[in-house]
Amino acid sequence: MFEDIPVEVSPMYEGERIRAANMFVELAGPKSIGAELVQVDDSLTEEKFEVIGSELSDMNQGDIIPFGLKIAIKGEKLEQELEGVIERRTHDLCNYVQGFMHLNQRDQIWCRVSTEAKDAGFKLVHLAKAVGTLFKEEFPIIETIAVTILTKKEEVEEFVEGAKSTYSIRDARSRELSDEDVDVFYGCLMCQSFAPSHMCVVTPDRTALCGAINWFDCRASAKMDPDGAIFEIEKGEVIDEEKGEYINVNNMISQKTQGETERVFLHSVFEYPHTSCGCFEAVAFYIPELDGIGIVDRDFNGETPLGIPFSSMAGQCSGGKQVEGFTGLSLEYMRSPKFLQADGAYNRVVWLPQNIKESLKEYIPKDLYDKIPTDADATKVKEIKTYLNDHNHPILERIANQNQTDEEDEEDSVSTTSQEDTTPEYAPVMTSPEISVPASGGVRIVFKNAKIYAEKVIIKKKK
Amino acid sequence: MIIAVSGKGGTGKTLVSSLLVKVLSKTNKDILIIDADPDSNIPDTLGINVEKSVGDVRENLKKDINTGNISVGTNKWDILDYNIMTSIVETKEFDLLVMGRPEGSGCYCAVNNMLRKIIENISSNYDVIIIDTEAGLEHLSRRTTQNVDTMLVVSDPSARGILTASRIGKLAEELEINFDNLYLILNRIKEGEEDNITQKAAKTGLDVIGLIHENEIVSEYDFEGKPLIDLPNDSEPVQTIENIVKKLLE
Repeated sequence: MFEDIPVEVSPMYEGERIRAANMFVELAGPKSIGAELVQVDDSLTEEKFEVIGSELSDMNQGDIIPFGLKIAIKGEKLEQELEGVIERRTHDLCNYVQGFMHLNQRDQIWCRVSTEAKDAGFKLVHLAKAVGTLFKEEFPIIETIAVTILTKKEEVEEFVEGAKSTYSIRDARSRELSDEDVDVFYGCLMCQSFAPSHMCVVTPDRTALCGAINWFDCRASAKMDPDGAIFEIEKGEVIDEEKGEYINVNNMISQKTQGETERVFLHSVFEYPHTSCGCFEAVAFYIPELDGIGIVDRDFNGETPLGIPFSSMAGQCSGGKQVEGFTGLSLEYMRSPKFLQADGAYNRVVWLPQNIKESLKEYIPKDLYDKIPTDADATKVKEIKTYLNDHNHPILERIANQNQTDEEDEEDSVSTTSQEDTTPEYAPVMTSPEISVPASGGVRIVFKNAKIYAEKVIIKKKK
Repeated sequence: MIIAVSGKGGTGKTLVSSLLVKVLSKTNKDILIIDADPDSNIPDTLGINVEKSVGDVRENLKKDINTGNISVGTNKWDILDYNIMTSIVETKEFDLLVMGRPEGSGCYCAVNNMLRKIIENISSNYDVIIIDTEAGLEHLSRRTTQNVDTMLVVSDPSARGILTASRIGKLAEELEINFDNLYLILNRIKEGEEDNITQKAAKTGLDVIGLIHENEIVSEYDFEGKPLIDLPNDSEPVQTIENIVKKLLE
């Protein structure tokens, strides 16, 4: 297939680096410009591989040359949406070519041609041909392909500009990618050496809580290293879309944590919040007095409304422990449209550090932005309450509703409790070998062999 | 071939590493030096200016992540790979990768995992890798030197230097890290002390592969901050390392 190419073309050359000492020329990279772009072009009529500008034979040892790699594809089943996915393969396929190094993607590529390849008679047009052929082999839906290599400065400049605007259109589309759009989530166990009973679940709407890896990174990792710490979780059946609970995720987490955690809600701090290794960039914590959620990040040194600093809070909810009312999260997750959606998202947030709030300005609903206090406004629960009242934070409505329903329910339940009044001794309304109660102030309350007696039991339907 | 140079701080690790580079670069092999000692000055002893370390790349990535500066459609493997490549100083004779300061606060599991893989991949492209390890034993217990085939432990005549050397040998054994070659290099030995120190060194259980005397030229280079890689070819330290390399390449 590659008989007329003077170097070998094979996956075994992936990962090949060319030292400056062994290179003939450098293309694009930090000292020049360049880009690669795959685009669907329905006007394409025939296969074409060409170089516009100078060929390797016109260059001198050590030259650093602008480099554009323009790939046009046509096929009945090809859609624009696939361009990004196909383009991602450019890196791998270019690296199949012996004596050609390719790093990174988009307008951040960096390539080198080895002296050895040049001496063997290798030309850029061979690269175009090899890449074109490999693409067709890899993606049979490509029926026609044209690969054009640009090496003239002005032309590359123009090409890079055009490519950049295409990337940003694609990025806008990717940012819209949500949990519903994919069939696969990822599990990450990179931190299990610290937290053996923790597994991170990474979805398009929920970046890993260390912030370092998103769904796209996981997809790349799982492919690069299928037996590695990052693996696919078939999304499967959803149990509760709002809370973000999935059967397969529950099964996987149960298996990978040796049964320590059996259920997880991806988008809530209540009941079964996502566990944490200790890596999180921030912690979301429930403030019972306000029925609201506070957020604190790693860089915040002061005390939180719970009266403890980040470090103590981090200690409480890390190590894979599932502690209701606390969840570790990445700052990127706070930009997600699903950010704690089951709990009321930003409507439920009643406190966060000033610098975090500023960095999230575009993502916090406009009418809410000034209603959420930061450490610059208040840190004690009482002061926060005053601020919330003064600024008419939506949590007030929630508190008001809560009180109202409590009263209504109380009336309903009067009849049942009055009967019990006749019995001299109460029977426990609940017994349990162990109950843990989320609490503030740096403590966790665990009742062992608890029997709970109550004058009144209120059972409410969830709204 | 992966050669690691270890030992107590200040015993002459960097002298040995620099001279290994000097001698090996005459062999026409592709050589990578990894400076894994945050306190080391190997770039100076090689006469090279380093602008960016792996630590800087890691911190910059964390910063970009926090501020949401990374395009959604790109992946961090590729970004790190590219930035590590920019941090490598390339010369005609050898390439140099400086690990830099250890991480700050926050979690680096994921980033470090990616970095390890990337550096492994980069390393596989070289014929010879020389690692100037951090002082002490950490590199063994953290297994950053477990793929090393030749471990050269450097010691000066001090009791503490010798003790660290013997601990390195014992720890490697305990951790079942099997180096193909594990040798001791004695440095800064006074004339006439050779027998005495060799006897002490025998107790470490390590074979002595070379001995460097106290050397005026080295002191002078150190004093003036001149790159040690420029030490004269006929000086004793260079001669000793040449003999060591000959033995290792046999």
